[in-house]
Amino acid sequence: MTKDKKQKNRHVYWNPYFGGFLLGIIILFTFYMTGRGLGASGAMKSSVVSIVETVAPTHAENNAYYSQFITEDESPMKTWLVFEALGVLIGAFISGGLNGRIGWRVQHSPNITSKRRLIFALGGGVLFGLGAQIARGCTSGAALSGMAVLSTGGFITMFAIFGSAYAFAYFFRKNWI
Amino acid sequence: MVKKKIAKVLAFRYTILAVILILLAGGLVLLPKYQKHEGIKPEELLSNTISPERYMTTDRLAHIIINQDPSFILIDVRDEKSFASYTLPNAINIPLKNLFKEENTGYLNQNQYDVVLFSNDHFYADQAWILCNRLGYKNMRVLKGGINEWYATIINPLKPADNMPASDAELYATRKAASMFFGVVYPEQFKVEAPKAVKQAPKKVITVEKKKKAPAEGGC
Amino acid sequence: MGPLIPNGVIPAEWDSIIAILIGIAFGFVLEASGFSSSRKLAGQFYGYDFAVLKVFFTAALVSVIGVYYMDYLGYLDVTQLYVHPFYLWGAIIGGIIMGVGFVAAGFCPGTSLCAVAIGKIDAIVYVGGIMVGVFIFSEMYTIFEPIYNGYFYGNVTLEDSLGINPYWFVFIFSIIAIVAFVVADMVRKRVKKVFY
Repeated sequence: MTKDKKQKNRHVYWNPYFGGFLLGIIILFTFYMTGRGLGASGAMKSSVVSIVETVAPTHAENNAYYSQFITEDESPMKTWLVFEALGVLIGAFISGGLNGRIGWRVQHSPNITSKRRLIFALGGGVLFGLGAQIARGCTSGAALSGMAVLSTGGFITMFAIFGSAYAFAYFFRKNWI
Repeated sequence: MVKKKIAKVLAFRYTILAVILILLAGGLVLLPKYQKHEGIKPEELLSNTISPERYMTTDRLAHIIINQDPSFILIDVRDEKSFASYTLPNAINIPLKNLFKEENTGYLNQNQYDVVLFSNDHFYADQAWILCNRLGYKNMRVLKGGINEWYATIINPLKPADNMPASDAELYATRKAASMFFGVVYPEQFKVEAPKAVKQAPKKVITVEKKKKAPAEGGC
Repeated sequence: MGPLIPNGVIPAEWDSIIAILIGIAFGFVLEASGFSSSRKLAGQFYGYDFAVLKVFFTAALVSVIGVYYMDYLGYLDVTQLYVHPFYLWGAIIGGIIMGVGFVAAGFCPGTSLCAVAIGKIDAIVYVGGIMVGVFIFSEMYTIFEPIYNGYFYGNVTLEDSLGINPYWFVFIFSIIAIVAFVVADMVRKRVKKVFY
């Protein structure tokens, strides 16, 4: 996508304020319907729990963390957040399809190789997964939904995420600019 | 011409949006505050009122006291003077006028125990019941007939005539046994020692923080 | 009186269907706002694109103002909403780790799902990374448990912990957000443009 010689961003996205407004309405609607906010990393946690439970059931039961999410009769995948994550996949696919953004590719800055991009994506994912468990939520679950109800934990998490991202941005500048 | 005008307005679109946002947020601050309706809805109160669960019979209460069921609290809503002269075993005195005093809410507003309210008849106890229900307190009951009924049925049960059904005789036997528990001595059993005074110190109630309504589970 | 499902206005069986519908809307808006592009997301940390800041703050403001208006009008009971629990050090340490992950990979879990849906391979790798991270956390749970369960202050809101009036807070928060938007636009004009 960097072969764009016209020096114009090829992808036309919504006005951020418009997107933010709609997102806010969705959060409001979610709170109105279910009394809780949105989330994303919870679905990945459920996937990990169910994978571990299938591969090594006794291990999952003995582990103090997995066992919190395992019940006798129901699969850990049968939670609200997993369904919501499925919806996110569908919704993003519709939007990407309408705007012609679908296709296999690795998006990276022209100054780095895709291999480097993938390695950093993996490392960042590991860190984010770890951090999201420690903080009990990611940017959508803790920060965004937390801010909608003025939760103290949500605000602290939000400041910690963005503060540290800005603080460490310097070290990763080669990857992006 | 029209297009130009629209363009002129559109140049300020973000300012306009910002002003709308500030107005909306400021509206929250400026809106007149009102006391939120506390307690349960009238319909719910009505359904609690007509529910048969509301009253407890004296026989059932006697059974509870004899078995020393720990899940019940007896609350006497009469004044201190009447409380001092006679009351039910283990009862706690909360006169109606002190119902909402800070130190008493721990007994009334909790989920651990069933609360049985009583007075001489069930008139005052009913008033207390309505007031507590209105505030959403759980597990409130009223002793049907109050202490008068208690006296008439448990302490001094009417001996059934011979031509009455057997169930009445059984009931009488139970009540008589109960009354013996509460210290009434019958002539045919005067050898039996009257049980020790059953009035004990009111049990302590550990107030638990009221649980929030089933909170939705975690976000992420 | 909301929330509808916990109060039994809508039967609980609808929960999953509503979850999918909300998810579709969420995914659509995220993707259409450009959150499936990691370079756009990372832009806010280098000053060449502040879409994340704008979307994020606008969404938070709209939802918080909406929640309080609905509470005021009696459609929604704020006290019944789920409040994210406040574990002081869990939030700070977890947030810092997430921040590093964010700037290293340019995704957060929600946006990475959007990018997976439109076929970005780096996002697929990233989701795999998150699962590895969760796995590491679970296997080493005993080490993390003191932070995970410690310093718990309850499901508190800013009203409880700072003692400020939520209405005033929303008002100040919206002014801060508008100032942030203006500053972000000024910064973006000064920073060299990056095309992606």
